[in-house]
Amino acid sequence: MPTMTLTQTLVMGLLQCVAVLILIFVMVPLLTFAERKVIGYIQVRLGATRTAGGLVGITGALNRGMWAMGKLPVLSILRGLPVFIADILKLILKEDIIPAKAERSVFTLAPIISVMAAFGVFSAIAFFPGVLFTFPAKFPIVGGLPFMGFISDVNVGVLYILGLSSVGVYGIVLGAWASNSKYPLLGGLRSAAQIISYEVPLTLSLLTPVVLAGSLNFKDLSIRLSTGADMHWLGAIPLFVGFLVYTTCGFAETNRTPFDLPEAETELVAGFHTEYSGMKFGFFYLAEYTNMIVVSCFASAFFLGGYYLLPFGLQRLIPASVPFLGQPSILFFFLKVFAILFLFLWVRATLPRYRYDQLMDVGWKWLIPLTLVNLFVAGLIRYAF
Amino acid sequence: MSFLRTLIPFDIIGGLTVTGRYFGKVFFSANRKKIRANLAHFTQEYPEVPVKLQPRFRGRLTLLKDEQGEIKCVCCLACEKICPTQVITIEKGKKEGRKMPFPVRYDFEMERCIFCEFCVESCGFDSIILNHQFELAGYNREDFSLGMDGLGHNMFEPSPVGRHSVAED
Ligand code: SF4
Ligand code: SF4
Repeated sequence: MPTMTLTQTLVMGLLQCVAVLILIFVMVPLLTFAERKVIGYIQVRLGATRTAGGLVGITGALNRGMWAMGKLPVLSILRGLPVFIADILKLILKEDIIPAKAERSVFTLAPIISVMAAFGVFSAIAFFPGVLFTFPAKFPIVGGLPFMGFISDVNVGVLYILGLSSVGVYGIVLGAWASNSKYPLLGGLRSAAQIISYEVPLTLSLLTPVVLAGSLNFKDLSIRLSTGADMHWLGAIPLFVGFLVYTTCGFAETNRTPFDLPEAETELVAGFHTEYSGMKFGFFYLAEYTNMIVVSCFASAFFLGGYYLLPFGLQRLIPASVPFLGQPSILFFFLKVFAILFLFLWVRATLPRYRYDQLMDVGWKWLIPLTLVNLFVAGLIRYAF
Repeated sequence: MSFLRTLIPFDIIGGLTVTGRYFGKVFFSANRKKIRANLAHFTQEYPEVPVKLQPRFRGRLTLLKDEQGEIKCVCCLACEKICPTQVITIEKGKKEGRKMPFPVRYDFEMERCIFCEFCVESCGFDSIILNHQFELAGYNREDFSLGMDGLGHNMFEPSPVGRHSVAED
């Protein structure tokens, strides 16, 4: 790698941040669209099929023409896609109301904290362990420089991510308190209790891959686990258990069903964001979906083999000399991310919400002992072989 | 045993299997090129495609005629009496060559009808039905008063408003 000047470093860093931001802002709306569709299909409906009305009625017209010809409209699955434009427009154009008795500064700060915590995590996530592409030499400042698959290569990336992602709960609690209203407060308290109790098994389940691979660096950890470098094949068992526990805690951490107690519609109106509207609510929304992507990236990298095809260290079955399947690829990584995101939606359409005491039961009585045993087994495997 | 049952979430896996199966069914049938009769999903793409209604759907009140084109109603006034909102008004009359009484006037004011189908149930001569029309909105009150005469808007024909809601019975 050529040594870079200060300007080049800054510009490259900026470019990579922008690339990640674009990724988030593309994936989140697509995720909301996918949510409509997947949940619709599971409930034997079609989900969003048209965006009708005034300016954006193009799909409506398209629908009508195709139906008249006796055919299903082209790319039938994507018919409702413009809905997400309408969604964004609605969020941006809506009036931003701050309740009269609310604590103004904290009320404004809360969604920002949530979003910053969710976005900041991406700085240590590696989407690809190496160079994605190199800029051609004719570009002014960045010519000849490699574009890496990650923003920064932090040695203790896992710790950094865990620390930053638990800051997100401050956004929820502060927003709930600042709203000065009963329902948000209850939602915020629940959220605090829930996230604190699930942070423990989440971290413990993440320790399993850390112990097995002996690294805290995001991409090193992922590569070592998937290629099975100095990991016995028995390590797949604690990894699998760890994966199940991690996904469960991931659901709880991102406040998704079946653990969406902070925003239980039936009891708490909308939970912590009851008083929020407009783009402030949009930020909470964005943070939730970004957190889903973060959790998926983690599960993909640490348990499902990351940049390699096969999960749980089974990649050693395919020798590295096999052209495509044996090599790391950003495609495999995103394949797994999308699989986990689909799991999020699938679970949401299947499982009802837990009761509060059941939630605490699952967290403290089952998941924490399970992860401790799992961690012990992983340590044994690491020590014995 | 119960320890294992709690530890391994069989029920969750079972639930996920059920929903996953439905997802697959709808996913693979919803995006065919051709419209097929038996799709896996229940969504009806209404404005573009005529709606398939259940046979017992209760639409607008309609007078029936028999094979000779005679009005079947014999003016027993059962429907007028039972109607909870009293929107049926019948005037009895005579007609040449017909033994039974004949309705000279059969007025129906749809604006107050609650589509309860009591009238149809009470009619012993099967001379009225509720048809399968649900697009019944109108622009003025006169659109809702139906009588035996009136061009294209009477008690015998379906209302001309919606084109999509009359299923072929
Ligand atoms: S459906 Fe019910 S309300 Fe309507 S005309 Fe018949 S009896 Fe009266
Ligand atoms: S009950 Fe039937 S036969 Fe009797 S008046 Fe009403 S429509 Fe005519």
